[in-house]
Amino acid sequence: MSSALSLAHEPVTGIRHGKLGMWIFLASEVMFFSGFFTAFIILRNTNLPVFAHGASELNWQLAALNTVNLIVSSLTMAMAILSLEHGNKSRFQLYMGITFLCACGFLVIKYIEYTTKFSHGIYPGTSSFFGLYFTMTGFHAMHVIGGMIPIGWMLAKSFTKRGYSDWERVEILGLYWHFVDLVWIFLFPVLYLIF
Amino acid sequence: MGAGLSAEEMQKSYLKIFGALMVFTLLTIIAAKFVHFPESWGGLSTTLHVTIGLIIAVAKAWMVVYVFMHIKFDNPYIRVFIYIPLFLFSVLVFALTVLGGPTL
Repeated sequence: MSSALSLAHEPVTGIRHGKLGMWIFLASEVMFFSGFFTAFIILRNTNLPVFAHGASELNWQLAALNTVNLIVSSLTMAMAILSLEHGNKSRFQLYMGITFLCACGFLVIKYIEYTTKFSHGIYPGTSSFFGLYFTMTGFHAMHVIGGMIPIGWMLAKSFTKRGYSDWERVEILGLYWHFVDLVWIFLFPVLYLIF
Repeated sequence: MGAGLSAEEMQKSYLKIFGALMVFTLLTIIAAKFVHFPESWGGLSTTLHVTIGLIIAVAKAWMVVYVFMHIKFDNPYIRVFIYIPLFLFSVLVFALTVLGGPTL
């Protein structure tokens, strides 16, 4: 492969620009979430009773269900990429559809969690724990919504006459989607479990 | 894609990681909610719970990155982008275990 002559690839490394851009974006996303985690760690370590009390108000069973949701959607996303790469359109639609549904399920559970908190009179200003809880899970939920838009678009496009065959783009979207799962992997024990 | 691996082999490694992620999720819940250390251990028991939860989370994160995000199969140059931030983040979260000490 003469990647040096192809404009689709970075000339030195031979990595596609889209993928390279996504990895740089994800590295910046790690820094973005690190800010929240640092704030959480410092405030928790100096106000342990406030945080232990706050965490005891959370519904870890619902969060565990959401963990399963995201792990399943990560698997189906990986399978969707593999299917499209091998030209299996109906499998791609099936796996992409499951991924989208898992994301919907995640948001429904998040909605239930939030509204339960509100009905108990718990808001972001209730304590430093809940301020961080709503900020961190809120930004994470926004990332889920942000992923659902291209997932839905690619899925919808694959049902049109022209279809959708650019598996390398789906792979780049997959990197983002696995990152969303990655953030939740840390949010779940840190917010819900470790107290 | 897949460094010469067939679709079946790729699918197999995805399913293996999926299974491992599910088992680790179950383990982290059991360790946090159903394993109780003796009362006399005091702060040490919290530190232990935090440490176990974080080790499992870091292991899960590296599994997702290595297989689902194709680091295992992809151009090695990409590793630079993710290994350094993920390593730093993995170290950062362990600051959660630093508790106690004299309070002012």
